[in-house]
Amino acid sequence: MNAITQKKIQSFVTQNAIYIVLVVLIAGIAIYDTNFLSITTLRDILLQSSTRAIIALGAAFVLITGGTDLSAGRVVGLTAVISASLLQDPNYPRRFFPDLPDLPLLVPILIAIAAGLLVGLINGIIVSRFSVPPFIATLGMMVIVYGVNSIYFDMEPNQSQPIGGLRQDFGQLGTGFIGPSGPYSIPYIVIIAIVVSILVWVVFNKTRLGKNMYAIGGNIQAATVSGINVGLNLIIIYAIAGGLYGLGGVLEAARTGGATNNYGNMYELDAIAACVVGGVSTSGGIGTVPGVLAGVLIFGVINYGLTFIGVNPYWQLIIKGLIIVAAVAFDIRKYLAKK
Amino acid sequence: MRKLVASTLVAAMTLSVVGCSQSTGSQPASGGDGSSTAPAAQAPAASEGNPKIGVAIYKFDDTFMTGVRNAISKAAEGKAEVDIVDSQNAQPTQNDKVDLFINKKVSALAINPVDRTAAGVIIDKAKQANIPIVFFNREPMPEDMQKWDKVYYVGAKAEESGTISGQLLVDFWNSHPEADKNKDGVMQYVMLKGEPGHQDAELRTKFSVKAIEDAGIKVEKVAEDTAMWDRVKGQEKMAAFLAAAGDKIEAVLANNDDMALGAIEALKAAGYFTNGKYIPVVGVDATAPALKELEAGTLLGTVLNDANSQGRATLNIATALAKGETPSKEMIGFDITDGKYVWVPYKKITKENINDAK
Repeated sequence: MNAITQKKIQSFVTQNAIYIVLVVLIAGIAIYDTNFLSITTLRDILLQSSTRAIIALGAAFVLITGGTDLSAGRVVGLTAVISASLLQDPNYPRRFFPDLPDLPLLVPILIAIAAGLLVGLINGIIVSRFSVPPFIATLGMMVIVYGVNSIYFDMEPNQSQPIGGLRQDFGQLGTGFIGPSGPYSIPYIVIIAIVVSILVWVVFNKTRLGKNMYAIGGNIQAATVSGINVGLNLIIIYAIAGGLYGLGGVLEAARTGGATNNYGNMYELDAIAACVVGGVSTSGGIGTVPGVLAGVLIFGVINYGLTFIGVNPYWQLIIKGLIIVAAVAFDIRKYLAKK
Repeated sequence: MRKLVASTLVAAMTLSVVGCSQSTGSQPASGGDGSSTAPAAQAPAASEGNPKIGVAIYKFDDTFMTGVRNAISKAAEGKAEVDIVDSQNAQPTQNDKVDLFINKKVSALAINPVDRTAAGVIIDKAKQANIPIVFFNREPMPEDMQKWDKVYYVGAKAEESGTISGQLLVDFWNSHPEADKNKDGVMQYVMLKGEPGHQDAELRTKFSVKAIEDAGIKVEKVAEDTAMWDRVKGQEKMAAFLAAAGDKIEAVLANNDDMALGAIEALKAAGYFTNGKYIPVVGVDATAPALKELEAGTLLGTVLNDANSQGRATLNIATALAKGETPSKEMIGFDITDGKYVWVPYKKITKENINDAK
């Protein structure tokens, strides 16, 4: 009887380790400073986690197939710059395209997302058609995308100046909200992240693409033998991932009211870290949307909470690193125990 | 086995929590080295009455901004409670930190923007929360500065640093006829630029050359490349310049000291600064390592971007604003131009007046 209860508890703890870590973290910070527990804090953390969640979900697609995507951060930078360059206020004196007419808001956004999609597509083709390991393929693309973005950013008359003076409606997308002004409002970005999460959940769980994705990550040979067009599926998955990074980049530009070619630098590592902490297996085949979101939130809480209580930024890095390693070491037990 | 893992995790979590308390607890002891987050919000009892100021630096591992950061911490002693955070060279991160400061209800913000065009959004946030804001070291766009009357800027005029570094070479050129190695009356120079698009990089590049030309000296650009403010990159680029142009180069201009020091390393490797082989190198910032090279005679001169004064002016304005006062010259110790700008002058630093920069 006692043994059974103990086993149940153990199993509960192992199965839900990620969420327990999240709760413990919040509790720890709240004990340290009770002011931490407020609606404003919650809203801030959700707001700050939103673009990261979208990017991490993109990375999750690729990770679950057993791949990896290092180009994520630079794609964010590329699409931030593209969307910002096409969405400047007509009266702003230093416009990227001085004679550009006012485009409907959605057009530049779709162009930017398409650019992300295109990069993902190329990633997918390199990985599946040329059999380049994903790490190398996306490493190459990471550097290429930064180069392309920097050339674009350096064009006359901009010449590598930060792009500012963004249109009001675009800025609203990043800073606007519904509901009453103040802590109880819901920012658009959060709503977008929730919608994207639901869509990704549907793809993961309810579509053939999702099933194929898990199958490819679980055992690529078995997937091939069972008639899955692995190449095509990989191309689609890398492209979707690229599109999600693209959306993330657009939102980063909208949120900060500007963009430079340095935007998104190293975001791929944050995204991968959030995924693995959220239980996505780097060897493929395993990962859920709620897990990824929990991983993103853990880092959101760490970033916000530790700064809130005034922890030295260098210590924050050490704590983050420890949590990545500890969470994965713990999580991996879940699957070892099963086998 | 599971127990072992579980306890490991618990240990890790505890460690992280202990980590927090340790780092904050040890701050008074480590105060002054500036790498800690200053006396943060841990001792409300001791700091009752002192206004709380949220400070965001664009990037902690920037040498010059570390100087400013230390100056802010030092100037805050007994006057204000500063909470200094790292924006990790990412504007989105900085915006997040500003939200956090607003949530923490600081009385004033002191922001060193990552991206100067993004200041507008930060001003909107501050204005909405009615928290006065001082920008420093990177100047927001003038139209953004006009958005609200409780927005100030502390910084130096970048073109001035360029002009002074050009003048250093002019002084040398005029007093050392042998500097014109090929005797063509033209100064062949190479330029190590900072991050492309960075206002300081563009202006220093432009105005340093302009100062030389204005002094009536003809110039020829042998090479120009960006070394991203970075010492290692400065060394690599300079080595490449030397490989390509060699002895043709008569002067080295660097947008900052780190790159100048990198260039000096490359020059040393190529046999310069021994047996009378010399080339003038100028930088900007007057960092401690640069002053050492200045003493050693390898660096001709540098320009002091007065980190102490910038930090002090920033903190003084923020403190005055936090108390609801309107900053004045008497209050902060610096001239205020156009009601919202404090321009901290640059200083020319050579071996002769090296103590001014120490």
